[in-house]
Amino acid sequence: MVKAVRGVLVECEPAIKSILVHIDSTHHNEFIIEDLDETHLFVKETMLHLLKQKLEERLKETYRPEEPLEDSE
Amino acid sequence: MPPKRKAPPGQATASKAGRASAMSTPGPATPRSIGSSAMSDADEDFDEDVSEAQKEREALMTKEADEFVSKFTLGSKRFQGQIDDSSREVRRYDAATPFFRKRDFSHLPLKPDHQNRPLWIDPDSCTIVLERFNPLAEQATDFLITIAEPKSRPTFLHEYALTPHSLYAAVSVGLRPRDIINTLERFLKTSLPDVVRRKIEDYTRSFGKVKLVLKHNSYFVESADAEVLQTLLKDKVIGGLRIQGSGGVTTSYAPTMGGLVIPGTQNAAGVHQANLNKAERMPGDAGDPSNEADLLTALNEEDDDDDKEAVHSFQISEDNVETVQKRCLDIGYPILEEYDFRNDDVNPNLEIDLRPNTQIRPYQEKSLSKMFGNGRAKSGIIVLPCGAGKTLVGITAACTIKKGVIVLCTSSMSVVQWRQEFLKWSNINPDDIAIFTAESKNKFSGSTGIIVTTYSMVTNSRERSHDSKKMMDFLRGREWGLMLLDEVHVVPAEMFRRVISSIKSHSKLGLTATLLREDDKISHLNFLIGPKLYEANWMELSQQGHIAKVQCAEVWCPMPTEFYDEYLRASARMKRTLYAMNPRKFQACQYLINYHEARGDKIIVFSDELYSLKQYALKLKKVFIYGGTSQAERMQVLENFQHNPEVNTLFLSKIGDTSLDLPEDLPHPDLVPLRLPPPRGPSAAFSARSAATTRASTPFYSLVSKDTQEMYYSSKRQAFLVDQGYAFKVITQLANIENTPDLAFATPQETRELLQRTLVDNERGAEDDVETDDLFGKPGRGRGGGGGARKGNGVRRTAGMLSELAGGQDMAYIEQNKAVNKALRAAGGKKKAGGGGEGQSKFFKGIQREKDKSKAQARAG
Amino acid sequence: MSTAQQSYQLSDYLEKLPGTTFRKLYQQPSTAFAIFRRMLPPLAKIFVQALLYMPAPLLLSELDVWVRAEGKMHRDPRLSILRSLHIIQITPPGKDRPQEMQLTTNFKNSLRLALEGGGTHNSFGVPSTLPVDPRIDIAHLDNYARKKWEDILHYVVNSVPVHGEAGGGGSAGGPKSSVKDLLLVGHLVERRHDTRGGVGITQAGFTFLLQEANAQVWTLLLQWLEAADRAKGKSDSIDMLSFLFMLASLELGRAYNTDALTETRRNMLPALVDFGLIYIPREDTRQYFPTRLATTLTSSASALRSVSSGFSAATANNPGDASSLGTTPDTSAASKGSIFIETNYRLYAYTSSPLQIAVLALFTQLSMRFPGMVTGRLTRDSIRRAIGFGITADQIISYLASHAHEQMARAAAAAGRPVLPPTVVDQIRLWQLENERMRTSAGFLFKDFDSAEEYVSLSGYAEEIGVLVWRNDRKRMFYASKFEQLRDYLKSRKKAE
Repeated sequence: MVKAVRGVLVECEPAIKSILVHIDSTHHNEFIIEDLDETHLFVKETMLHLLKQKLEERLKETYRPEEPLEDSE
Repeated sequence: MPPKRKAPPGQATASKAGRASAMSTPGPATPRSIGSSAMSDADEDFDEDVSEAQKEREALMTKEADEFVSKFTLGSKRFQGQIDDSSREVRRYDAATPFFRKRDFSHLPLKPDHQNRPLWIDPDSCTIVLERFNPLAEQATDFLITIAEPKSRPTFLHEYALTPHSLYAAVSVGLRPRDIINTLERFLKTSLPDVVRRKIEDYTRSFGKVKLVLKHNSYFVESADAEVLQTLLKDKVIGGLRIQGSGGVTTSYAPTMGGLVIPGTQNAAGVHQANLNKAERMPGDAGDPSNEADLLTALNEEDDDDDKEAVHSFQISEDNVETVQKRCLDIGYPILEEYDFRNDDVNPNLEIDLRPNTQIRPYQEKSLSKMFGNGRAKSGIIVLPCGAGKTLVGITAACTIKKGVIVLCTSSMSVVQWRQEFLKWSNINPDDIAIFTAESKNKFSGSTGIIVTTYSMVTNSRERSHDSKKMMDFLRGREWGLMLLDEVHVVPAEMFRRVISSIKSHSKLGLTATLLREDDKISHLNFLIGPKLYEANWMELSQQGHIAKVQCAEVWCPMPTEFYDEYLRASARMKRTLYAMNPRKFQACQYLINYHEARGDKIIVFSDELYSLKQYALKLKKVFIYGGTSQAERMQVLENFQHNPEVNTLFLSKIGDTSLDLPEDLPHPDLVPLRLPPPRGPSAAFSARSAATTRASTPFYSLVSKDTQEMYYSSKRQAFLVDQGYAFKVITQLANIENTPDLAFATPQETRELLQRTLVDNERGAEDDVETDDLFGKPGRGRGGGGGARKGNGVRRTAGMLSELAGGQDMAYIEQNKAVNKALRAAGGKKKAGGGGEGQSKFFKGIQREKDKSKAQARAG
Repeated sequence: MSTAQQSYQLSDYLEKLPGTTFRKLYQQPSTAFAIFRRMLPPLAKIFVQALLYMPAPLLLSELDVWVRAEGKMHRDPRLSILRSLHIIQITPPGKDRPQEMQLTTNFKNSLRLALEGGGTHNSFGVPSTLPVDPRIDIAHLDNYARKKWEDILHYVVNSVPVHGEAGGGGSAGGPKSSVKDLLLVGHLVERRHDTRGGVGITQAGFTFLLQEANAQVWTLLLQWLEAADRAKGKSDSIDMLSFLFMLASLELGRAYNTDALTETRRNMLPALVDFGLIYIPREDTRQYFPTRLATTLTSSASALRSVSSGFSAATANNPGDASSLGTTPDTSAASKGSIFIETNYRLYAYTSSPLQIAVLALFTQLSMRFPGMVTGRLTRDSIRRAIGFGITADQIISYLASHAHEQMARAAAAAGRPVLPPTVVDQIRLWQLENERMRTSAGFLFKDFDSAEEYVSLSGYAEEIGVLVWRNDRKRMFYASKFEQLRDYLKSRKKAE
């Protein structure tokens, strides 16, 4: 029986997808409903915001945080 | 000077917590604290072999110095709190003010002719902004480099910061607070805020006021300020240490440069006669108005009356020098050391001079004029990029002082190199310059001379051989005129302390490419060696053709999904290996090597990750050198890389970064791309070469795996160079890389195999490839037995090497000098026979066999 | 550049108007004159002047006599402009008679009146006969207009989410709520929860900030007219537009009579006061004074350049700054050619205008402010924040390029390099790309089909009606943005079986 599942389609490059899958696997698979292909994931609508946040945290590891400009303190 | 680059919070903690945890930080060359085992020579390890008493003393001194350093910081804070309310009141407020928080200084009134003045100053942080396009920019730059710390030196506007340390340095090279204030006032667009004026006065009040002078072989505490001297005499510790009966406080006249000539300068070439009567004028290009020495002279001349400044001094005994030094530090009068070598009749003179025709460059001269500004030798640090001729600066200093010299290096290879350089540039009698290493323990024959040794040789106190002991007694028992300290940024502060306390020298000169280090002991260098005397502007030297121009690029290599998935799950240690082994990166490396070899370039590829270094080199059939490579084999490989037209690419581990003594014609890997074929002497060959090199700029690639921590480390390392004005172009795609013949790992199958092999090889961990060299401690020793530390990846130099700074596990440096290559090729006919001859390493023979085979096949086919 | 842009905006608006509207508009000599002066390229002006006193229609073929050979290619585009503005009529091409052209009646009459003077149309305003307060001079009006307009710009630029302590320096008061509403309606700002004022800047708002003042004024006025169209119908907006053209023809510094205005126009006065286009003394509301913002509305391009420098002098500098910076000779440099961007992303801008600083703050982490100069740095965060507002990397890059300091431009030209360091340009773009690394859309995943045929049929239908976003035939799954139609289709398909 055909099913229509409500959710969010995520389109991204493979590396981002890998990170998202990894986040999902370390969070009791709370985010992803279906792994569609190399560049697509189907995720829970309610978890999208949190997922984006987690992704941003992960990506933060890959760039240098700006040093604060010399402050007077 | 506060540490410029802060480690990310996690990392900072890691390095403090000890090497074991630092180990787990995956960055290949992450600037970090240097464990003391970083500096062990050959068969010796100095770490655990120091007597308890000495340890205690060192710990105490470190603590005291720390406290002193922090006092400086506190001082500055306190001062910032005192910003006068009067200036607060007149501050303007408008809609844009909130963007700047407290840093809106738009209320400061501009001078009517502000357009002709190049500087602004932020009175709170003492940050100075300089317009490089202003007519007075040159003078202002020379001035700022003397009094402030350079923060940002790109094209149009530069930023400097006045810090307690920079002011200390300024005072120690002879600037008076009044000079600093007046000159700042002259260059500023607004009038000098009172708060800055007071800050300068406050900081400099105690700086440089007190000097320790070794005169007629006696130590004198000297000051131009009688009151300061009285303060010291009243001090409960120092007062008692004055040598009674030495006549109390004596007054004499302050020394001036008075005809002292630094060899290798224009003065030395014969024009100095004219300058002899101008006591204060330093040797230099007198016609050049931008000459900073002239500027300062001009300032001094405004106060003619003070030309001859009275100085007051009292004598202390040799045994109490350290105590007095410490005490002065404690009560806020750090002692400057000066050596009046011209009046030292006790220590015999050394017969040494620069060879005729040796001309030193303007910036080398400038740096030396800071050291010898008042006719005495001041102790301190000179910062020059590698390739800019630090060694020659050291040698010239030795030729100026002409007394016994002790040179401290980071490795035994560099010991040999220093000696050779001495012989090359100076007329020193070879018998007068000896080497003290594990292999060689010679003394000089005459009454004085030069000893070249390593830090670890003189600090190691364990199980010395009889010869070593005798040698140490010899070193300790003498008074040295000059101590040359090479690569000071990599040597732990405690080690300096040990060197300095065990060997008596009248003056100390530290040499380095950068003062960046992460062990937050950099401030200690200011007191252990002396203030920073000079720091060159890299971009400027490169524009003037003194060091090579480089074009920097960062190549982003995406990771194949299998690799990346594995990376995400891997331990920190494995992450490092995986992003180094990224097959796309490998392909990029292959592509770039092909491209540049086809153009006739010579290529050096650096990698800190030993496993990947070997895999790359083997797969691409290139020569490589790492810690395990024997001395003989190194020379063999280098010789071929240099002269054999068949060998154009060399893979180097971090060893290449530090102690590998590359032949002179090759760029020194240490800051390689900035290294020019050296300036040495006027030879036709050289000028042709330098012309060619200055025109072309050297490409410098940093290959990084996208979306990995490598990106983070890469940009972190680049920060220093970027602030020096270097621009890194990001390359996200290499054109037609897929068309590369025999492209490695082109199929998914190969990629998977590579991943499996990488995982298996590194899981096993039973690597016999350990990175050992003079500089690097034996892996697994003294690391607190941390789980992550398996391979020789633990000890790294903190900074300073371009390949590290610029980032990238794998750096490809391309020597693009076609003229040289042609010359090599021409000479190659002769050399080649030797290249293929006996004495070759097995590996090298293998490569050669491969080549011959394929050639034979080609011929057959 | 901005002049052209501004004309486009106004012409875009005008081109949408029907012929009847133009006939009404052209009843006003001031409108005909303003359109003639402002909207027409030189060649078109020549055509109009030639036709103006011509007793009979002109044969189209005769026009070629006036146009030099090399100008021929411009002829038709000019004619089409004149036609779209309903200034000329051209008879349709036919076999029997050649094409003729002539000015439309209303335009011709009004333009003649405007040029000759006379008539009782009061189209150029009725000067007030009442005594004028001597304190209301041009300086006063400039000051007033500048203040009003800056309030508006500040409102737009400050509608930036509060970031730490810095930023969002809301100026006290700000524009009237009617103006704020207009900015919202015109999508220059949008409602947001994370800002102090509850609104945030949009991409259109950023474009708006980057325009020259004259173009900004028109942008806002056109929003206003369109809003009036929607609310009250065309008739009002025609009179409003006419009134704007009339204001443009008035004399700066002179008082005009409010009683002589139609009711529609009198109703416009409060808003025009809010915009800073006119000034009405509190004590005497029977007088109104057009400000420079109004009188320069339709200045010709060349006139505008000088006006705009006077204008930017009025709008850009605080009087306080102006006095302290009295030695700065170039007023135009205050708004352009002031920025240095270094290869290490540090930014230095020679400006003391709070407005320009606020614009910079949109994408720069500002650091220090000196008299006449500010420093800062482009950072990943500052750029990503800007991109978060809808500002594009290209907008930032073009702003930096067009405001690059002359020293930078000169050095770049000498070295044969682009003005902005390529690494910085690349990096700004890369930062933008980082923002787009994960694209999401809400919808429905269709799976577990009973048969391949069912899958093919439904996915085919989804594609047909344009809701198919992703499909995988092997997995027999597809993703659609909508659900209802597919459900219905499936039902009907089931029934049919």
